[in-house]
Amino acid sequence: MTAQLPDELPRQPMTGIADASWHRLHPLSPLVRAGRGLMSLLILLLGIAVLHRRQAGSDLYTDLAIIALALAGGFVSWLVTRWQVADGVLRVDTGLLRRDSRRFPLSQVQAIDIVQTGLARVLGLAELQLRVAGGDAARGGRLACLRLADAERLRRQLLAMAALAAVPAVPEAQSAGTGNQAISQAQAAVGSERPLFRVKPSRLPVAIVASRAGATALIVAVGTVLTAWLSGNASAIAPFLPVVLGVVLALWRQLNGEYGTTVSAAHDGIRLRSGLIQTAAETIRPGRIQAVRLVQPLVWRALGWCRLEVDVAGMRQRREGQAEGQRLRALIPVGTRAEAEQMLNELLGDRPLPVRRAPQAARWKAPLSFHFLGWSGDDRYVVASRGRLCRQTTWVPLEKVQSIRWVQGPVQRMFDLASVHLDVAGKRVTASIEERDSAEAVQILGRLPDLARAARRASRS
Amino acid sequence: MTTAEPPTPAESPTPAKSPTPADPRAPAERPAHSDPAEAGISWLRPSPLLLRARRIQVGLVTVPAAIIVAAAGLAASPTASVGAAAAVLVAGLLSERFLARRVAAWGYAERDDDLMVRRGVLVRRQSVIPYGRMQFIDVTAGPVERSLGLATLRMHTAAAASDARIPGLDKAVAAVLRDQLAALGEAQAAGL
Repeated sequence: MTAQLPDELPRQPMTGIADASWHRLHPLSPLVRAGRGLMSLLILLLGIAVLHRRQAGSDLYTDLAIIALALAGGFVSWLVTRWQVADGVLRVDTGLLRRDSRRFPLSQVQAIDIVQTGLARVLGLAELQLRVAGGDAARGGRLACLRLADAERLRRQLLAMAALAAVPAVPEAQSAGTGNQAISQAQAAVGSERPLFRVKPSRLPVAIVASRAGATALIVAVGTVLTAWLSGNASAIAPFLPVVLGVVLALWRQLNGEYGTTVSAAHDGIRLRSGLIQTAAETIRPGRIQAVRLVQPLVWRALGWCRLEVDVAGMRQRREGQAEGQRLRALIPVGTRAEAEQMLNELLGDRPLPVRRAPQAARWKAPLSFHFLGWSGDDRYVVASRGRLCRQTTWVPLEKVQSIRWVQGPVQRMFDLASVHLDVAGKRVTASIEERDSAEAVQILGRLPDLARAARRASRS
Repeated sequence: MTTAEPPTPAESPTPAKSPTPADPRAPAERPAHSDPAEAGISWLRPSPLLLRARRIQVGLVTVPAAIIVAAAGLAASPTASVGAAAAVLVAGLLSERFLARRVAAWGYAERDDDLMVRRGVLVRRQSVIPYGRMQFIDVTAGPVERSLGLATLRMHTAAAASDARIPGLDKAVAAVLRDQLAALGEAQAAGL
């Protein structure tokens, strides 16, 4: 297989990536990919070596051999991994014994991210991640790692090609010419980014502390201290340590992920950059936003702050941060209402507000969340708000609705209420129109499918 | 609801096993305690054999459970253990009432652009899935269902929360419905 690969390929400037030639990843990528595990292993080994300076001997050697083996495996995997862009399809071949060839039609790509882990940043490398619909991270494409500049250029080109592939109206005969033209236009326009939002670095830590995660941390800390104090024995807190560690890690992860978030509008979508140590840059293509959610926790409301999240089909894949799967992507990790309004205008344009309050009967069914229940809709969006302490307002474009569910539980039936849920792609978001009068719920269920169909037609034409 | 028909138990009109692949499903009237009343929806029903399948499933759980309970406590206190086993059996028999209602609650309707599925007695649910949103369709059959010639049809959309399955379809009906839905889905497919 490798015999077909010209040697100079990795060095070749990737101006014509669509020429169907094969490329390799950066030679240092196995190191970066193994990075985190390897580092901890090395530190552990050093610790062992220092502690048991005497009997280190053979144990150390076997462990070193394991590391060497892991690195060699990584090197082999690098050796057999190649990628190619041809006919609007990114193809990634890998595997020595079990060949694995994946094709990612660029028209299906939801977003392309550039992620840099700490080690990758030191080495000037970056990982390119393609997000495709369907949620499962394993189905996403991943090029780890390329040089940062190469990764950025490749992303630009792939996005331009993706935008092109998504327009089927271009006749075949012209498409070659317009294709190159569009790509060059796209590349020319790259410089022009319009900044939309930048998170205040000082505000983010405060906001995280004042959110639910912060409250959890506070409870855990107070609990730990109380235990130590009441038992009069500092070692009594030992069982709590994993919990404390987990909480601290969660806070850190959020800070690391959202620090320095900048959002800007570019020709090919919305650019989002964030990260303290591990940085990520992603581009959300227009029309790929499945839902927008405005979150206003209790304390934040008093400060006039809020959080704005978007849901894009296709799970974000990061090596760390499994929590990312459940979280939406925060365009505004914390911002003022005015900033959120501005961003909403940018994302949705003219949009309905959840002005239709729940009926009085809902006060008895849902006394804690009644004050936030509401919905509204027009021919493009449905908005629903809910929440007890933390208000969540979700906008869903009607053309993105996957299914509509009407649900009535026994208590709801007692009060003559019902809920309607609008599901969008993925596991995370559902716009829930909760606790409506059952007559109204029936009406919603009757009308929404037609509205959604009309919206789908409109978006397609 | 325009007509006040009495609730049709699952045993009534559907012809049980008609092997013709044309359209072996007969429309059944909705029960009077209906869900979102949208006039003109003629709900189709799973096969009446579904009730039998559910009964067998309950039996397969309760009888071994009763035996285990009886055997476990026999040495310590025979009366108590036999009593407990009897309680398990009675619970199984009592669930019969709920079974019939739950089975009767299932219904589906093919409309022009979407499929409606309803189910549930205590928590009632009704889903609307546009044909164009279907990603793929499963037909599965467990051992009990298979022995009765039944199958469960399940539709998947890109949303994990979408919940559309129709249990206890006659195997032929399930196959016809699957092909029909797949064709409709292809015709109306919409991007994400």
